[in-house]
Amino acid sequence: MGLGKFLIKRTIQGVIVIWGVVTITFFLRFLTPGDPVSALTPPDAGPEVRERMAENLGLNDPIHIQYADYITDLLMLDLGTSMRTGRSASIMILARLPATLELALAATIISMIIAIPLGVISARRRHQKSDYAATMFSLLGISTPNFWLGIMLIILVAVVVGPIPTGGRDVSFWEATVMLFLEANPRGFGNWAIHIFLPAITLGTYFTALLTRLTRSGMLEELGKTYVEATRAKGLPETLVLYKHVLRNTLIPIITVLGLQLGTLIGGAVITEEVFSWPGIGSFLIQQIAYRDWVLIQGILIVIGVGFVVINIIVDAMYAKLNPKVVTE
Amino acid sequence: MSNVTDILRIDGLKTRFFTDNGQVNAVEDLDVRIEDGEVFGIVGESGSGKSVMALSIIDLIERPGRITDGEIWFRAPDIADELVETDAVDGDYVDLRAMSPEQRGLLRGSRFSMIFQDPMSSFNPSITVGEQIAEAVEAQRRARSNPRSLDAKSQHYGLTDYLLGGVLSSKRYVSEPSLDRAIELLELVGIPDPAERAEEYPHEYSGGMLQRAMIAQALAGEPDVLIADEPTTALDVTIQAQVLDLLAELQTETGMTILLITHNLGVVARMCDRVGVMYAGEIVERGTLGDVFDNPVHPYTQGLLGSIPDLQGVAERLQPIEGNVPSLLDHEMPDRCYFADRCPKAMEECLEHPPELAVNDRGQHATRCYLAETEYTAAKALPTDYFGATEAPAEADTAPEEPTATDGGDHQ
Repeated sequence: MGLGKFLIKRTIQGVIVIWGVVTITFFLRFLTPGDPVSALTPPDAGPEVRERMAENLGLNDPIHIQYADYITDLLMLDLGTSMRTGRSASIMILARLPATLELALAATIISMIIAIPLGVISARRRHQKSDYAATMFSLLGISTPNFWLGIMLIILVAVVVGPIPTGGRDVSFWEATVMLFLEANPRGFGNWAIHIFLPAITLGTYFTALLTRLTRSGMLEELGKTYVEATRAKGLPETLVLYKHVLRNTLIPIITVLGLQLGTLIGGAVITEEVFSWPGIGSFLIQQIAYRDWVLIQGILIVIGVGFVVINIIVDAMYAKLNPKVVTE
Repeated sequence: MSNVTDILRIDGLKTRFFTDNGQVNAVEDLDVRIEDGEVFGIVGESGSGKSVMALSIIDLIERPGRITDGEIWFRAPDIADELVETDAVDGDYVDLRAMSPEQRGLLRGSRFSMIFQDPMSSFNPSITVGEQIAEAVEAQRRARSNPRSLDAKSQHYGLTDYLLGGVLSSKRYVSEPSLDRAIELLELVGIPDPAERAEEYPHEYSGGMLQRAMIAQALAGEPDVLIADEPTTALDVTIQAQVLDLLAELQTETGMTILLITHNLGVVARMCDRVGVMYAGEIVERGTLGDVFDNPVHPYTQGLLGSIPDLQGVAERLQPIEGNVPSLLDHEMPDRCYFADRCPKAMEECLEHPPELAVNDRGQHATRCYLAETEYTAAKALPTDYFGATEAPAEADTAPEEPTATDGGDHQ
């Protein structure tokens, strides 16, 4: 089985998972308390007003018709119309998505930059001071709740460092890039970086800690294998033994965790986004739950689900690239 | 230092492992001379220190292990010229132990190389076989291109180069000529369609093919000494013969020295010019194949030979050696002959650790056993329950460290 076939198989599986997500979110609505008609109409509205509202929203159709309509709309990438604002849900969510992706990617990249070298050092100097320091750091990182860390960072940074913004997002990464290349103005980029720095650290700390531990234990496991001895015996420089052979094999299982974690970061940035007023889909979801805008809630959940599946397919492809056994088996 | 044909002389080598359970004397006071171009066999049971000895030579002992004492003299006139005026040089010989780790590292692949027991676990599963062999070629190519610089293999290819190599093909470690050479090597060891097989991963090879590939990899640097650590143990019998034939053939062609480590006496008989029998970290008997196989002196060697079935002879019951391999923990190792407790001919002399004694005047055949000089007589024999009887009370009553040392004193 080649890589292409492998990816097709994974994609078909992904589509089935997405269909499951869509179906569950659709039916979830009927299980939760709170009726959109009551949320949208004034409390003193008469039954005919309520009836017309329900008719407009399509709530009077039998469930299977509603479901079929919903799926048909989704296939045309139409997530429906926001019940509260009357605007297209797809556009509203899409407008919020880049902020979340930026934050999740920034957090992941910061984590990898810190964690992988730390894990390598830790494994190479096992039972020495630097190993204990790295192990201690990862223990702290794993046990620190990120809402607390976020608030602490805001307090500490605001007091000690001074004028670093502790919330919001002025420019998007895209805008900053355009400014940099078209206007040769790096200021937009600086502004973006300074805004994303604290939320990315907050979101990434747990993952950094986890990744450090995984890298350390993975390296130790790989270093004990015979092929490492054989690779040294043939005279390969230690740098290549460590990075081309040992670290590369260590990263194979870590890639899987990385993918799962990136998926979680997209959906799970809710608290961090809220603490730092980051305008992503996490904080958006909280707002829409308060409004009981079911169309948007469903839309956001589906986008998160699709994101999760897509990332996992990408991860599987990388995994197959790194581990030749996956493709041939 | 008289025999100039020795390629390797090991004197008093001690390799120890400092574990949580105590100090393990894996190799204890080992002396051996290996002649240029011969096949020297090291035989012994599991846990007798064979592999540790091999790893000590190639400098791959890792923590918690360490070579604590001894000298490993290796014949290399060119290196001797470079290091002249230092303690590490004696004529054409250099003492590996006195060289820096970087200098020793340079000998791996180019002077010494090693093949391991299980080919499946000795190749990196996620890199193609061709690429792995090419790495070995490349390492030697780079070292040769700058022989003066002892760090040629490491400093000129760092992490940055490796990371850039992911993007720029010119920065890749392995070059095209090395890949071509890897294919040639695969062809040399008899792998059909070497160009296609080079692109395959280790799990796509059979065990025998992979062992051939490992031999190809070991030959990449045209080594002077090839250490083969149980090269056929993981293979099935028909493949074993093929791999041994290949090794013998390559040895004749290249004239390299092979240090063959095995527990299989059949392999030794088939391949080796001289043999050393290892027991509890030391060589207890050594000599030419004829000396050791036809005229064994040490009861352990006799026991090993007695435990092989003879297909031609009368089907007698095989004679196993009683007891188990001794503990190599320092505090459990007695001052007597390490084999005495299992030895059917243990005598009063054996309570003192025997030095290496020559068996005959030709100087090749030697053993660490008093039987080389004295005849076994029943009068001096230790009682059959001597060790069995002393073990329990001695460990309970007296200091457990040296139960036999005190007993030995009583007898003398």
